Amino acid sequence: MKVTVVRTGGFAGIKRKGRSDTADDPVLRSLVARVDLAAVRGRASGRRVPDQFSYAIDIDGEAVTVGESDLTGALRELVHHVLDG
Amino acid sequence: MRCTIVPPHMLERVLEGSADPELRALALRTLRLDAATRTERRLAGPVTQGNGRRDEPWRTVKDAMHLEELPGKTVRSEGQDPTGDPVADRAYDWLGATFRFFEDVYDRDSINNAGMEMVSTVHFGREYDNAFWDGAQMVYGDGDGRLFLSFTGPLDVTAHELTHGVTQYTADLAYYGQPGALNESMSDVFGSLVKQHHLGQTADEADWLIGAGLFGPAVRGEALRSLKEPGTAYDDPELGRDPQPGHMDDYVRTHHDNGGVHINSGIPNRAFHLLAAELGGHAWERAGLIWFDALTGGALYPDTDFRGFAAETVRRAAARFGEGSAEHGAVAYAWTAVGVAP
Repeated sequence: MKVTVVRTGGFAGIKRKGRSDTADDPVLRSLVARVDLAAVRGRASGRRVPDQFSYAIDIDGEAVTVGESDLTGALRELVHHVLDG
Repeated sequence: MRCTIVPPHMLERVLEGSADPELRALALRTLRLDAATRTERRLAGPVTQGNGRRDEPWRTVKDAMHLEELPGKTVRSEGQDPTGDPVADRAYDWLGATFRFFEDVYDRDSINNAGMEMVSTVHFGREYDNAFWDGAQMVYGDGDGRLFLSFTGPLDVTAHELTHGVTQYTADLAYYGQPGALNESMSDVFGSLVKQHHLGQTADEADWLIGAGLFGPAVRGEALRSLKEPGTAYDDPELGRDPQPGHMDDYVRTHHDNGGVHINSGIPNRAFHLLAAELGGHAWERAGLIWFDALTGGALYPDTDFRGFAAETVRRAAARFGEGSAEHGAVAYAWTAVGVAP
């Protein structure tokens, strides 16, 4: 599975992008197994916080965009793994 | 706030008590002029939305101690001695400078114009490259030390975040698309004005940059944004290039960044700079006053777009400085120059 994370916004407004594939990233494979994007979408507050980061996460074509305050649990680990890894 | 130096009751006493015809004539003329000015002020609406008092700030600085948890532990309250932590103490000082600007220039008593406590949490997270307004307080990261230094460093960062609070308590512009870009632009405009006021700069002396001093030494760029020349603030191999447009022809349509709020803010930012440059002098006195009137005057809605805001600034310029005044003409010119028909 191909995973893409795009972080935008923040005070700086500078875009950062990360990409990884579960085929050669076993840590990502275990994280993807723990993330349910449909549940994330359902839970997201949709609250827009001035200057907070915005994250667009795409897992094999299924996409969701959340604010930093909605980035919790395994999804948070996944985002940092893909962006910083 | 504009004030007459000699109060009317004293002039009236001169009229009643003085036998000197020249002095009486002078007092009478001054009273008439004063009355005319007061009528003009009444027609133009209140001079500011202020309360006429000289208020004092209520600052609280908290320390997240590198966790991403709010609000953190209070390390300095209003009136207390410095903590010895330069980051916490600078956050305290910048809140003071921002408070003084809004109070002394526009007679606005803190974020909500009712003396609201101003809370800044510092040392948020680890290597955290951001600062934000969470709806109730300001939050600052220390930066990663390489690309970004501490977000408490530049005064305009604090002023930008605090202005998000002012916007929330006034026009409450939605944080998406054009209203969101206006929301961002308000924070950049007053962020820059607070810095200019602090340094005593005129429009042509100011750098008109947002976030100067925030980049680490290896980054190729002078700041994050330029109100004067959007799109020119940085061009770095790792961070990319400043994406801001300065004209509606280059408006960026995107679903990222809440519909490009940090990108398209370049358009109203540039309109403000054009106005300030045209008027000259201290930008907060006339250009800033028109923007402040528009933001806080109660005529904007959460979904006001560039055009709606432009029209309101034109109305406010006419109300404040007169129909056909230099200020009125300059506002219309500035918006036209960035492709927004007011």
